Amino acid sequence: MSLNISAKIDPITRSVVQHRLSSIVKEMGEAMLRTSYSQILNSSRDFSLAICDTGGRLIAQADHLPVHVGALPWATLAVEQRFKDVAPGDVILLNDPDYGGSHLPDLTAFVPVFADGKRLLWTVVRAHQSDIGGATHGAYNPGATEIWQEGLRVPPIKLYEAGRPREDLLDLLALNVRNPREFRGDLAAMLGAAHLGERGVAKLFGEFSAPVVEAAIEAILDATEQQTRAVVSTWKDGVFHGEAFLDDDGHGRSDIRIAAKVTKKGSDIEVDLSSSDPQSTSFVNSSHANMQAAVAMAFAYLIDAEIPKNTGALRPLKVIATQGTIVWADSGRPVTLCTSHPSNEIVEAIIKAMSASCPERAMAGWSRRFRIAIQGENPRTGRPFIWHLFQARPGGGASSGGDGYSSIGEWHSAGGLKFGSIEVAEVRFPLHFRQHEFREGSGGDGQFRGGLGVALDLVLETEKPAKGNTAGDGARHGPCGMLGGEDGAPHHYRLLSEGREPRVLLTKEVGIELRPGDCLEIRSSGGGGWGPPGKRSALARQRDREQGLTAPDAPAGRGAQ
Amino acid sequence: MMFTIGIDVGGTYTDLVAIDDHGKIVFGKSPSTPADQSIGVMAGLDELARRLKLTRAEMLASTNRIVHGTTVATNALLERKGAKVALLTTEGHRDVIEMREGLKDNRYDLRSPPPEPLVPRHFRFGVKERLKANGEVAIPLDDHSLVEAIAAIKRSGATSVAVCFLHAYLNPIHELAAVERLTRELPGVSVSRSSDVLPQIKEYERVSTTIVNAYVGPLVRRYLTTLEQRLAEAGFKGSLFIILSHGGMAPVEEASRLAAGTVLSGPAGGISGGRRCADILDLPNLVPFDMGGTSTDISLISDGAASLSADGMLAGQRIALRSLDIASIAAGGGSIASVDAGGTLQVGPESAGSVPGPACYGNGGEAATVTDANIVLGYLDAGAFMGGKRPLDAAAAAAAVERVAASLGLSLQQAAAGISRIINLKMADGIRLMTLRRGVDPRRFALLSFGGAAGVHAVEVARELEIKRIIVPIAASVLSAWGMLTCDLRYEVSRTYYGTGKRISPEEVRDIFAGLEQQAAGRLRSWFGGPIAVQRSAEMRYGEQVFEIDVSLDGLGWDDPSLVDQIEDRFHRRHEELYTYASRDQEVVFVNARVAAVGEVPQTGQAEKLAPSTLACAPRSTRKAFFGEWIDVPVYALDDLGHGHAFAGPAIVEAETTTVVIGAQDRLTVNALGWLDIAVG
Repeated sequence: MSLNISAKIDPITRSVVQHRLSSIVKEMGEAMLRTSYSQILNSSRDFSLAICDTGGRLIAQADHLPVHVGALPWATLAVEQRFKDVAPGDVILLNDPDYGGSHLPDLTAFVPVFADGKRLLWTVVRAHQSDIGGATHGAYNPGATEIWQEGLRVPPIKLYEAGRPREDLLDLLALNVRNPREFRGDLAAMLGAAHLGERGVAKLFGEFSAPVVEAAIEAILDATEQQTRAVVSTWKDGVFHGEAFLDDDGHGRSDIRIAAKVTKKGSDIEVDLSSSDPQSTSFVNSSHANMQAAVAMAFAYLIDAEIPKNTGALRPLKVIATQGTIVWADSGRPVTLCTSHPSNEIVEAIIKAMSASCPERAMAGWSRRFRIAIQGENPRTGRPFIWHLFQARPGGGASSGGDGYSSIGEWHSAGGLKFGSIEVAEVRFPLHFRQHEFREGSGGDGQFRGGLGVALDLVLETEKPAKGNTAGDGARHGPCGMLGGEDGAPHHYRLLSEGREPRVLLTKEVGIELRPGDCLEIRSSGGGGWGPPGKRSALARQRDREQGLTAPDAPAGRGAQ
Repeated sequence: MMFTIGIDVGGTYTDLVAIDDHGKIVFGKSPSTPADQSIGVMAGLDELARRLKLTRAEMLASTNRIVHGTTVATNALLERKGAKVALLTTEGHRDVIEMREGLKDNRYDLRSPPPEPLVPRHFRFGVKERLKANGEVAIPLDDHSLVEAIAAIKRSGATSVAVCFLHAYLNPIHELAAVERLTRELPGVSVSRSSDVLPQIKEYERVSTTIVNAYVGPLVRRYLTTLEQRLAEAGFKGSLFIILSHGGMAPVEEASRLAAGTVLSGPAGGISGGRRCADILDLPNLVPFDMGGTSTDISLISDGAASLSADGMLAGQRIALRSLDIASIAAGGGSIASVDAGGTLQVGPESAGSVPGPACYGNGGEAATVTDANIVLGYLDAGAFMGGKRPLDAAAAAAAVERVAASLGLSLQQAAAGISRIINLKMADGIRLMTLRRGVDPRRFALLSFGGAAGVHAVEVARELEIKRIIVPIAASVLSAWGMLTCDLRYEVSRTYYGTGKRISPEEVRDIFAGLEQQAAGRLRSWFGGPIAVQRSAEMRYGEQVFEIDVSLDGLGWDDPSLVDQIEDRFHRRHEELYTYASRDQEVVFVNARVAAVGEVPQTGQAEKLAPSTLACAPRSTRKAFFGEWIDVPVYALDDLGHGHAFAGPAIVEAETTTVVIGAQDRLTVNALGWLDIAVG
């Protein structure tokens, strides 16, 4: 059917419509970046924009956070199921994993686009909120054993009805988060971006007529599918296996296995995650939408970067998983960590499996996420503060293309998270960044070396004790080496406190007591190496030495000062 | 008779314009000499003198001002041919530039290696010192570690040093001490200091800008000094001014000190030209649209002024100095059309460049370019290109486009029209982002079309954006050099306000600006005896945002106790213009104060008005061209058109260096200056 429609559209109109749609999502991203209120959005860019159709298909997206994008179609489907009576001017909001949400901090806003009185598309904005209520600030609660402890659950709700805001609902939401002011600012930015997109798409309908745009969309998706299949069909056929491990769930289980069985035949790929370990009692579970997104992300990394990331690109991909496993937890289970873990492990398991099918495309392991949040009182203002660690970005994996990026991030963010200025952080928070430099020797050795992590010594300059929380993984398992390359050094964080023994921080801790003058000695992981170390050129080795990239980790036990 | 001369050094040609006391203008052109641009400049001056029927010495002896746009810094960055730079920075923080704030360009490309930083890691040296966030000294500058670092710099063989310490924007004490020691121990080495180059918070932007300054500084200084010498030897006794990226001009010494501020010196002239056009035509809202072979520059003149931005990036390097806001799109007449694996027509980003060039150049280029499509469609006449001096190969153009057509399953004409449509869309996208992102509606603007490839595409690009009017100035091909004649002197200073969480007070605002004004006007006074105007602006943001918005503070009641309210009101309004909403109940943070001192140069003469033409307005010929269908289109020669001539499209107007295409709905009028004024239907 779709092929018949697309045959009617000439390739020029198709190109024009595709061009327009992609410039609309770009404009939405630009607006979001510049207007959002919290640092996690305006600096760290933890948001995504898309245009979906009423069938939940992803039509266009802007390249922001890869891990959001594959999840948006599921949220769109949930909205379609819940509301049959959508009017112009409505705005719908959701975050719950039972409704296509990835995890509770990610709020998703939908604005419908109508043409000739018919609802055809949605502009969609998903953005990570700095707080969403729940037992701990910022939703990352290693202690949670149920989703209700992770924050406010929002099923699809109408936040605006025919252009009128539901102030009562807004108040309800704002009352349930710890920083209502920031929350309202970020929500305003999300809606601004979604409306900007709506205006752009409506104009497109006006110019070309709805039937032409619809037909062009079918043609765009078909063309992208064709482009993707052309790439996949060049890879080796077969059944391939890969696995990756979570360090632990913080609740007594360790080395939780994520297993991928990938069957590649012709231009089709089937990813079967069903033999992954059972679900956990803690927040290391994945929601269904997030699991789908992680698989889509791995696939997107293997095909050509230029191929548009829409539903067409994902058509060759089939995903099999079993509910009740770590990659797809039952309703009600905690899932907050999932956009990083087990997302990163899902990607790594799939890429490892595919290294036997398309070795030139399989990159070595990118890093895992190990976050810290500090909550205390700022002596300069007397006001409470909350700081999230975005500095000390870990290393990227090497690939057939060369050495990995240093200080770049994890599989799920891949150079999309900006860490703010250290000068600005020191002005705004009672923190002193004594050292923030490459962590020498942290990149996995190989024909191409993994990128370096960062060594950060962070001194607390409060007058009163503060609390720290951690959330993450990757302190035991470093990013994997690929095709003979070595693993990158895992994360290694310590707390240095006068009068106390230095101690290694675990990746899932709540309520760490931090005293004025304490030093967090943060050593983020390096990326995995690619190819056998024996094949590394003498010139590259000399350069590594000259630049001090491979020297052993300098002893950093200078202690708290 | 006294002259003012504008000189614009482009990639291929050096353009020169002289204007005399009566406003009479003479143009000159000579090939550029990239190895030493001053050779081409001197040759161009010869040419200009010849046209004035003077000797070069006579002309230069009666020239009081030369204004110059140079691409020395731009080329050094693009070609990576700058100085060998070392960085002296705070110990424990030497990887700031290579960390790039954790960002990577193409999100889904995980197989490309990272870019090489301008200063490799083993040329980056840490010094033991540290300032607190409020500017107080936490760790005094350690003499021993400084001496060691300087010795290491000496061993490295670096010829230029960037000095950037954390929080030095608040307190330059350690940077000053380090620079003093450096210049003493390494005489002859060029030094750039962050608290001098960009005294603003945010270390990545400051260190990157300071490094760029160190990288291009020695080359810019050498070039300008040579040029100054050559001019003096040739008898020039007036002042030589250089256009900076912010569109104002400054003497040689200042341009050499702040060499990173000259990276947009070339295109800045074009924008000055645009501003001059806006002024002459009393048309304050213009989009200068400079479409060339490989790239297209788009900028914005709003209410008669060019907008400035501190978001600059060139050749992958962050340059946070305030510059004219120019969007450069890597697309133009040479952009290559191709069909991707999904069967979608793509135009660019690859370009045929000038070698081998479009297929029609006959230099071995096989790829179909926008120019080839324009020949197939009949917009360009292969025989009349460059006034017939360089005929093009129409058959080669058709063959190249035919290959694209075959893989799309389209006819030759359909494919060519598609290529044209896609490139127009890309141009429109660039203009849309440029205008909408800055909170202005492109429909209120007129398009100022210049650059070799702009005329063929301007009306369709305008139609795409619902722009109703296009201006094609007669000086289109030397617009930059012409614009330079009208540049003002400009010196900018800024200061970051270190807030303690409290709202800034009116007294603090007045103090900051009084200090900056004194500094800026004082500096300008040392170059210039004429009237000085002061422009004030501030960068502000809402509490937790990290992007600041630049807000003009001119025209406020400065002595009024409500000063801060007025300033915040300006900010809210600007925020709403840009981003559709303002949050008036939110805290507003004052980040940077800026002052520009502007020395207004007297303008010589008025633009020459022409008498209405008494000749009939008639086309020279007709040719077949595609306007939805193939029709016989009248072709006019620009040289035949005079004031008052007018006709409706479809039509083609040809000049030696450009071709203008107008559609059936459009109407062209020739104004009193001899410029084309097109009403887009």
